[in-house]
Amino acid sequence: MTAAANLLTFLGLVVTLLLVWRQSLPGRLRLFVAHSVLLALLAATIGWLAGRPGLVGVGAVFLLVKAWAIPRVLWRIAAGAPVRLVAPGKSAGLALLAAGALVVAAYAIMLPVRAATELPTEGAIPLAFAMALIGLFLCVTGRDAFGHILGFLVLENGIFGFAILATYGLPGIVEAGVFLDVLVIVLIMEAVVVRVRQEHDSIEEERLRELRG
Amino acid sequence: MAALAYTLAAALGLAAVALGVGGMFGWTWTLAVSWLVPLGGLELALDPLGGFFVALVGAMAVPASVYAMGYAHGSRRGVLAYLVFVGAMAVVPLAANVMTFAIAWELMSLASYFLVLHEREARESADAAWAYAVMTHVGLACLLAGMLLLATWTGSVRFADWRLAAPGLAGPARSLAFALLALGFAGKAGVIPLHVWLPLAHPAAPSHVSALMSGVMIKLGVYGLIRVALDWLGGGPPWWGVAVLLAGAVSAVLGVLYALVDHDLKRLLAFHSIENVGIILIGLGAGMLYHGAGLETLALLGLAAALYHTVNHAAFKVLLFLGAGAVVQATGTRDMERMGGLVKRMPWTAACFLVGSAAIAALPPLNGFVSEWLTFVALLQSAAIARPAINLAFAAGIAGLALTSGLAMACFVKAYGITFLALPRSDAAAGAREAGTAMRAGMLVLALACVALGLGPTVVLPALERVAAPLLGLPAPPPRALGDWLTVNVSGGFASLSTLAIAAALGLALVAPLLGLALAGAGSRRRLYETWGCGRLLQTARMEYTATAFSNPFKRVFDFLYRPVKRLDIEFHPESRFFVQRIEWTNPTRSIFEDWLYRPVLDGLHWAARRARAIQSGSANLYLAYILAALLVLLVLA
Repeated sequence: MTAAANLLTFLGLVVTLLLVWRQSLPGRLRLFVAHSVLLALLAATIGWLAGRPGLVGVGAVFLLVKAWAIPRVLWRIAAGAPVRLVAPGKSAGLALLAAGALVVAAYAIMLPVRAATELPTEGAIPLAFAMALIGLFLCVTGRDAFGHILGFLVLENGIFGFAILATYGLPGIVEAGVFLDVLVIVLIMEAVVVRVRQEHDSIEEERLRELRG
Repeated sequence: MAALAYTLAAALGLAAVALGVGGMFGWTWTLAVSWLVPLGGLELALDPLGGFFVALVGAMAVPASVYAMGYAHGSRRGVLAYLVFVGAMAVVPLAANVMTFAIAWELMSLASYFLVLHEREARESADAAWAYAVMTHVGLACLLAGMLLLATWTGSVRFADWRLAAPGLAGPARSLAFALLALGFAGKAGVIPLHVWLPLAHPAAPSHVSALMSGVMIKLGVYGLIRVALDWLGGGPPWWGVAVLLAGAVSAVLGVLYALVDHDLKRLLAFHSIENVGIILIGLGAGMLYHGAGLETLALLGLAAALYHTVNHAAFKVLLFLGAGAVVQATGTRDMERMGGLVKRMPWTAACFLVGSAAIAALPPLNGFVSEWLTFVALLQSAAIARPAINLAFAAGIAGLALTSGLAMACFVKAYGITFLALPRSDAAAGAREAGTAMRAGMLVLALACVALGLGPTVVLPALERVAAPLLGLPAPPPRALGDWLTVNVSGGFASLSTLAIAAALGLALVAPLLGLALAGAGSRRRLYETWGCGRLLQTARMEYTATAFSNPFKRVFDFLYRPVKRLDIEFHPESRFFVQRIEWTNPTRSIFEDWLYRPVLDGLHWAARRARAIQSGSANLYLAYILAALLVLLVLA
């Protein structure tokens, strides 16, 4: 079972790296859904491994929120976007290299944590942490508001995975609160993005600077 | 509505007087409401020193509020801020822990900030309010830093615990706390060079507020200094006292020198507040030095002199500001050069202002004389401390005080003479009308208070010594006689004073010649004729002595301080340069402190702000990158 958890986390990291590489909007959305599904599976696996049926329930809710409700909202945001030309020469190679560096950093940072824990899942902890860091990195490099939202969601997924692996899940009430928060944040972001697009005809980062007072 | 609020403020003042006088005569209590605010809760305590200042706040709030009823004409603007201002000032001396003090202090500062912004449409008011807000918050930062340090070292946020724990602190720690707290309180008291807000903020506020700011609020800075130096920290090394004494001497001399060359009536009074706080600090510094040397009776004298001058300055400065307010309202200008002749048009205001001027110029038998005399007597006995360096500081205090008294006299000859005497210098002054009943009542009460405080030192001084004695560790009623009902006798016959006798002598000297003339059978026939005008046929206001001319000799003598600039603007006739149409000559002074202290500091801040702006690009990506970088750095370091 430990191997399954490690594999699922590893696959999650691979999907995260693909998110860094992929440029097309619908493609990234599909990757995000895949990422969420993998993490829901991870929650269920660990719930089974640790004998905590509550975690399986958390995984189900996670699947509902992150793989269905939020992607629907994101799809609504994406549907309104004009078709964007991918600028030639903007290679994802450098971004992938940076993401790789973040994975190394995650391993380095998590050394003391791994030394302190006795859980069978400790091998996957740095991978989940790397997902969170790369999520933040996606936020940093996002070229429009959609990119920022996606990065934030990946960061959130990474933290969820990290919590599952390091402590066998947070208390149910905390998880419920976090899910609600994320859902509300995404809805608010949708409203803001739609509004900005109406006023501004664009949500690209370069043009967002013009909003400065 | 407004009248109701001012009535409420006056009632609040009366209640504060009752409470405070009770505190001065030994009625003590504490009130703690721990759930109301965090970090120790709300806690109030009444002790003699706090009671003295609460009574002072109340006693000045009553005439100012009565005056405001007439002055504000029912205008609602600033009424709420005024109420909060008076209430917060009455709470500050009662605060018994850090949180209560910080709340009351900040409420007082914020309320007065809004009152300075009274005429917010004027650019000048906005600038004054801004300068005031900055200076008062720099002071607050110093105060909070000092208080939090003391709270950490003593393990308590209650002032009562500091009293017990402070003697056990290390010397440098005590000195650091003293320096921070003293800086904060000195900023509020307007001690030079932290005075820059005062001449800006006081003229901008409505006059009853300027009166309270100058008469009472800056005194709470003095209150803080007394608390810190003698109560919370319980005395310290001699340099504390020397620093207070010298800061007082510098403030006194420079304050009055700046007042001399200022022709804005309210700003002139504001500079005099700096001067008088200086005089109070000279007395306080002397008290601290004597206390440090173990000469408790002399320390009591110095401290009582400081407290006496605190009351006196409050009485005559509130009176003068109220009088100036009446004048400004009647003439529509604060510029003395456009006043004149008001003694005939506003006789009540002129009489009250004259009493205030004589009191602030320390003319016997009025109150300013008594407290300055006491301060002198305290300073002159410095030979009791056998340390030359300290004696030198005392000598500087004596010289400063003497110079200040003389210059203050000159300044008020100018202020009263140019404002009230001679012919009106403008149409506005010619058409001035006497102030209303409420305003006159407020001024009259204070004028009577000035006379009473001057004639009654035998009653007032023992009460002040009751306040000062516990701070010096003496038993509450001082064990020595202060003379009889007629004469104040200090330091066992070192000096004695009877203002009643002086008043009687002055009265006699005034009446005797008239009586003599009447006895000698001088003619009682009245002849009315115009004033003698040196033989000139035409007499206009343009020929009168001006405030600028009056202060010019001082400007020349002290030009190293004023660094005056001469600007000559001549407009020639277009046909020929030999005919002049108009000559304008101005001679403005420059402030050393603004040019050499505040300007470099502000320039440095601007420079740093421009540098810091580089990281503010407006790019969300960059901001997120800062977060990521900070997170990584923190995680790696952790």
